[in-house]
Amino acid sequence: MCPPLHFGVLYEINPWMHREVAVDIEGAAAQWEALAANLRGAGAVVETIEPQPHVPDLVFTANAGLVRAAPATAPGTAAGAGAGAGQFVPSHFRYPQRQPETEVFTAWFAARGWRVDHLPVEVDHEGAGDALPFGGTLLSGYRPRSDASAGPVLSRLLGTAVRSVELVDERLYHVDLTFCPLDDRRAICAPLGWDRYGRRVVEELVPEPLWLEDDEAMAFCANSVVVGTNVVMPSVPTRVGRRLEGWGFDVVESPVGEFLKAGGGCRCLTLALDVDLGPA
Amino acid sequence: MPTETVKLEGHIVDSLILAKVLDLILDAGADYRIDDFELGRTNVDPSRATIEIRGDDHRALDTLVELLQVHGANRVGDADVTLVAADRAGVLPVGFYSTTNLATEVRVGGRWVVVENPEMDCGIVVRASGTADAGAPAATARTVPMHRVALGDRVVVGPAGVRVHAPDKRRDTRAFEFMTSDVSSEKPKTLLVHQVASRLRAARERGGRVLAVCGPAVVHTGAAPDVARLVRGGWIDVLFAGNGFATHDMESNILGTSLGVSILEGSRSEGGHSNHLRVINEVRRHGSISAAVDAGFVTGGAMYECVRAGVPFVLGGSIRDDGPLPDTMTDVVAAADAMRDLIGGVAVALMLASTLHAVATGNILPGGVETFCVDINQAVVTKLADRGSHQALGIVTDVGPFLRELADRLAC
Repeated sequence: MCPPLHFGVLYEINPWMHREVAVDIEGAAAQWEALAANLRGAGAVVETIEPQPHVPDLVFTANAGLVRAAPATAPGTAAGAGAGAGQFVPSHFRYPQRQPETEVFTAWFAARGWRVDHLPVEVDHEGAGDALPFGGTLLSGYRPRSDASAGPVLSRLLGTAVRSVELVDERLYHVDLTFCPLDDRRAICAPLGWDRYGRRVVEELVPEPLWLEDDEAMAFCANSVVVGTNVVMPSVPTRVGRRLEGWGFDVVESPVGEFLKAGGGCRCLTLALDVDLGPA
Repeated sequence: MPTETVKLEGHIVDSLILAKVLDLILDAGADYRIDDFELGRTNVDPSRATIEIRGDDHRALDTLVELLQVHGANRVGDADVTLVAADRAGVLPVGFYSTTNLATEVRVGGRWVVVENPEMDCGIVVRASGTADAGAPAATARTVPMHRVALGDRVVVGPAGVRVHAPDKRRDTRAFEFMTSDVSSEKPKTLLVHQVASRLRAARERGGRVLAVCGPAVVHTGAAPDVARLVRGGWIDVLFAGNGFATHDMESNILGTSLGVSILEGSRSEGGHSNHLRVINEVRRHGSISAAVDAGFVTGGAMYECVRAGVPFVLGGSIRDDGPLPDTMTDVVAAADAMRDLIGGVAVALMLASTLHAVATGNILPGGVETFCVDINQAVVTKLADRGSHQALGIVTDVGPFLRELADRLAC
């Protein structure tokens, strides 16, 4: 995660951003701290990256790139152990405003001994915000920020299958606003973000989907962080909460309204470092 | 039919991207053929598909391919032309790209350059342009017939980097639609004349030129005066013919016969078989048709009106010509080149009772010229209309009454 010291809406690169809407910087800091506390409470170890003034969206570490953890740190490793050095594929951002972040994130991973593999120059992909693992494959979104052609490239680089789905609603501009893996059978799904092909792909991939209504999707319910059986969500509509609890999940609401002003929810503010993509 | 080939790679089956791309192609009204398909064997192996897309025109196809690129489909073969320098004058390099008469572009330095003078059965020569103008293309491209290739000319070799535009179906097809079924002698002739007249008027309005190709039968059927009327009326901008047409046109003016047969009475005149020789002989004495007109030896007829109106003509010679007339070009390659120099801006071509010169003209005209082929013989008309001119209409009729009525229609 990245502390929101320099967070603000300084430009507009998604439909949620409006420069004239001021960010309450203290409110943002409080929300961020609460999120980090909720994640620690759920059993996660939180590592941080130093915020930098020229990149206000660095807080959205989900877009740093794609991570394949080294085998020793598969999920379930004892709390307190830091993530060992695995493989990192830095993002190539669509918009020039976020492009300077690539260097910052790459330096962080390289300094910690991670192997860094680069996308080809002409391919755009915005990292874990646009590709999430489920059922032995990465579900990758394309069009608003990432290229469809990134699919086979990522597949080769990360040694995993990639299924690319088109994101058709410009408000749900990253796949992590439409899809949240819960466990190996279940995921939160926002069909508002996909066309009929995308919906079919998800139907075939997820044995037990939780389909979000449009208003639930727009409240960023899919942009949640799952730590073990804990689901940390920006907001918890009653219906959704009940279903998750019925499945045995513990649901924690962690409001991130200040970050929604930049189009980001809970998951956007985090990057999982223990991602297990199966045997390489 | 314009085609583009794209490649799709990845988990395109599981992602339903292949299905989506194929659906998008069909939704756009185009068609596809899967040239190659490889299903990835392992989790990591991508599947690959090579898809040839066939569309109605290049613009729509370009738009479709751009749309498909969003889904990861990449154009294959967006290459520049391959250029090989001719190592002998008059000889094209092996594997030269052989042109059609359709609008053609070549890709040079990543940009599409229009080939300036579409003509079938030629090579394409690319030259770097001399201008430093930022807006101007860096190169020019022209069709060049084999015999005009110069040593060192950079000639397009192979199909890469060449694209050809199918004739624009949207362009004013009403007149042709009416008549484009098979050539037949059973269409109402008056209606056809009316249509041809209106096409000539429309061409005029657009600033297009009218080319007439005349065979000797035009004179034999007594229609030379009608050609004369059309020239005088400004309806013919350039005339292609052979030794025979010009000779008999002048023979009929001077002696009232065509190949010895009286134009007015239809009877053979005494000693008439040598009439045309005597006319050729005297024109040879004058040195040229133009000189014969100026001297008052020829006082009327189609050639007379061409000289008076300054309408250029090319008389292409043939092995069986009598004389020939001084203006008849006996070097047929030079004759074809002279014709090439005169077809710029031609919008309508009238092929009148001619086979040889009509074919020769059809060979050098670009595809977009509206062509009317008139002959009493259905086989000739079919042959001409089928030559791939793409905009040719065949009219089976006696060219005499046809031309008379056309000249009347155009109020000459």
